Amino acid sequence: MKTWQEITSLKNVKIWVLIIIGLFLLGIPLFASQFLNYLMLTFFAYAITVIGFNLLFGYTGLLSFGHALFMTVGAYTAAFLTGKFSVLYMEAILVVAVIISSILAALIGAICVRYIKIYFAMLTLAFGMLFYTFLLKFYYLTGGDEGMRVLRPYLLGFNLSEIPKMQYLTRSYYIYTFVILVILTFVMWKIVSSPFGLCLKAIRDNPEKAEYLGVSVKRYRWYAFIISGAYAAIGGALLAPAIGQVDPGLTYWTHSGTLVFMTLLGGFENFFGPLIGGIVYIFLQDKVMSLTTYWRFIFGAILAFLVIVAPGGIAGVVSSLVKKEKRDE
Amino acid sequence: METILNILFSGVFNASTLFLVAAGLQVVFGVQKVFNLACGSFYALGAYFGIVVVKSFVAGGFPKPLFIAPLIGAGLLLGFIGPIFERGLIKFVYGRDETFQLLLTFAIVMMIEDVIKFIWGTSPQTMGGIDLVYGQLNVLGATVPVYNLIVILCSLIIAALIGYILLNTKFGRIIRATADKREMSEALGINMTLVYVKVFTLGTVLGTLGGALVIPATAAVSEMGVELIVLAFAVVVIGGLGSMKGAFIGALIVGVLKSIAISTYPELEMLTIYIIVIAVLVIKPQGLFGGARV
Amino acid sequence: MNEEKKMAILSASDLRKYYGEFCALDGVSFKINEGEFVSIIGPNGAGKTTLINVLTGLLTPNTGKVFYKDREITGIGPEKLSKLGVARSFQLVNIFPNFTVLEFLMVAIVSRLGKGTNFYSSLLRNQEVTGEALEVAKLFGLEEKKNVLAKNLPQGDKKLLDVASAFALQPEVILLDEPTSGVSTSEKNKIMEILVSASKEIGIKSIIQVEHDMDIVFSFSDRIIAMHQGKILADATPQEIEKNEEVVCTVLGQKECFKIFSTLLKR
Repeated sequence: MKTWQEITSLKNVKIWVLIIIGLFLLGIPLFASQFLNYLMLTFFAYAITVIGFNLLFGYTGLLSFGHALFMTVGAYTAAFLTGKFSVLYMEAILVVAVIISSILAALIGAICVRYIKIYFAMLTLAFGMLFYTFLLKFYYLTGGDEGMRVLRPYLLGFNLSEIPKMQYLTRSYYIYTFVILVILTFVMWKIVSSPFGLCLKAIRDNPEKAEYLGVSVKRYRWYAFIISGAYAAIGGALLAPAIGQVDPGLTYWTHSGTLVFMTLLGGFENFFGPLIGGIVYIFLQDKVMSLTTYWRFIFGAILAFLVIVAPGGIAGVVSSLVKKEKRDE
Repeated sequence: METILNILFSGVFNASTLFLVAAGLQVVFGVQKVFNLACGSFYALGAYFGIVVVKSFVAGGFPKPLFIAPLIGAGLLLGFIGPIFERGLIKFVYGRDETFQLLLTFAIVMMIEDVIKFIWGTSPQTMGGIDLVYGQLNVLGATVPVYNLIVILCSLIIAALIGYILLNTKFGRIIRATADKREMSEALGINMTLVYVKVFTLGTVLGTLGGALVIPATAAVSEMGVELIVLAFAVVVIGGLGSMKGAFIGALIVGVLKSIAISTYPELEMLTIYIIVIAVLVIKPQGLFGGARV
Repeated sequence: MNEEKKMAILSASDLRKYYGEFCALDGVSFKINEGEFVSIIGPNGAGKTTLINVLTGLLTPNTGKVFYKDREITGIGPEKLSKLGVARSFQLVNIFPNFTVLEFLMVAIVSRLGKGTNFYSSLLRNQEVTGEALEVAKLFGLEEKKNVLAKNLPQGDKKLLDVASAFALQPEVILLDEPTSGVSTSEKNKIMEILVSASKEIGIKSIIQVEHDMDIVFSFSDRIIAMHQGKILADATPQEIEKNEEVVCTVLGQKECFKIFSTLLKR
């Protein structure tokens, strides 16, 4: 957790760096291949999800092994609305996804936040798998393990169905998703810099002391749970049209594990860590998958390495290098 | 619709192998406080290795009915990869936040899953029904494969053995002491490193043995480790984290429930189990016998 | 007449707490009035920490009640308690290791002001909160260390910070569990004086402390409650306690016993 004074002094530099990166990302469709573009799209969706996830993990100290559940809720909302109800407005899909996930998160969270650590992790895992079973077994509703198709939604009310698919995805949809990512990242920044954010960090550092200072530990954890669930739902809803297909595997516990992996890889103690982790994970996975089918082994080894040697992730390594340089000066 | 007894027997059979894995989980959690997600992976390894050993046994011309000997041997032997994981990986996260321990075991799950795929491929493997070599028995009106009875018997013997070790041997006392108060045990001069290695090995052996024993009656698929962890977790939650008695009773409950669900409403099989897990965690989070703070 | 004016700010009525067969509190009753500085003393195992835990709602007694003013607060839990106006500090330092001194104090202030659910406005720009945090830091002499991480503070300062955060809640009653334990003898007095002046500044009405250092106890208390084996042995002013041989010998220890007997003999 950086002290607030450190942040203030670096602030201007950081903002410029962010703007440059943002412009770069926006410009990618102009010079990169379609496939790269597509990968970036999936990154945006995952980025939103893990930024939300880290509110729960990095800031509140709760490890959820079932977070993919909310991502799946968002994804299936997109599938249902576009496929079964012919509602094609992306904005409507996002709103409905947030509403449904918030209700679910409120219910599930109410049960889960009473517990911590292992029990919380395993409870969330159980809920995630419960949802998986539900999606699988009620196949007449959800398509079972074959999943459901997701149709191309209207963006900001524009029906873009005449545009060829790849162009739609890599231009209009790309920008749309990117803008939402930027907005949601900004919102999250506000949240973690607010008094509420301070309370969450207090809950993570020492829940007992926080309680003695009058902080409603369980209630705030619940709020964090709901907010992070909403983020995941938006991420899932944005991912679905990009993939074109949703299936129950999205909520299998190992997919939740992926979300944790991304967050840890980038660094959970840093606000931008999850974003770094997300992009590295996605590109690394693509690279490794093209080299071998045994990418899980390599990623497992990377995760083990992270946990043992560099639990602060990439951001952690970078910041300790920076500190070391400062000391050597 | 099978008779109630048939359901019960198959439930108890499920429970037997589940108990072994859960016991392995419990003992490692009790002593090292590590919740080993990879217990299911060891189970899977035991299953695959069991197939290899038995197949070569039979191909080598040995009499089929004796297959159970090399099977058990395979299960026991493979467990000794335990120390490699413990010394090589797990030991680095003792005393660290539980979150990281969980993530490390998750990393091991990922690695073992691909190891299995690499060695044995992705299509299911079986022993070709070798368990039927022992034929079937008619017990109180239910037809039960004798093999299943043998497995149940083995598990009971092992359960009794574990109970004996825990209560009557020095090693068992050390296990119970460290589970209770780690610093005290260290202060009393007990070599914790050795204890940790031994206990982890015990946990691994129980897992691989469970997998080996179950495999004649079912097929080995590469995801079996990943799927089992949820069941093992259910057992441990219901029985209570850290309790051997809990592993036993929990395994019985889950095994029988699974069996009932399969023969009545197969769609609801896992659903029922998850709902019960959640219900237990809400009503009595320590489970039936657990004492750990939640 | 003065007796009627004084309201009991914290009172306990017949508290009993058992751990299985072991009786930690065996019928403890007392009243603390506004403006009093009360020390609870007693040998280890007398039940002092259990009493504090029960008074602050962390433990629920088997029987008996705790009242804050005229409101029953038995077992309501630390969160609700602090909102009512009762705060506590801990014997073993209980801190947010990764917070700076200022952030640490801000938690208490944010909570007190009810801003915990404010998730949209910037904390750093909130003059009210940061300003007040600085004030409290000044009161406790931690102003220069305001950006130091709590885990990097020396032990004495960690203790002060723990207490300071409780003070920042602006409670009416504060319970301090061994506020000077783990601190060097030379610093003890300094800490106690900081505590007393800070409580005057903040407007804390009553202080209850558990303390082992008898010099501190006798210098600062208006009243002493001596406990032994879960019961209250005596509840009186320091002068009266000094003369109470039973207390002296049980609680203050053999050395004190001889000292006091010899002074009595000399008279």
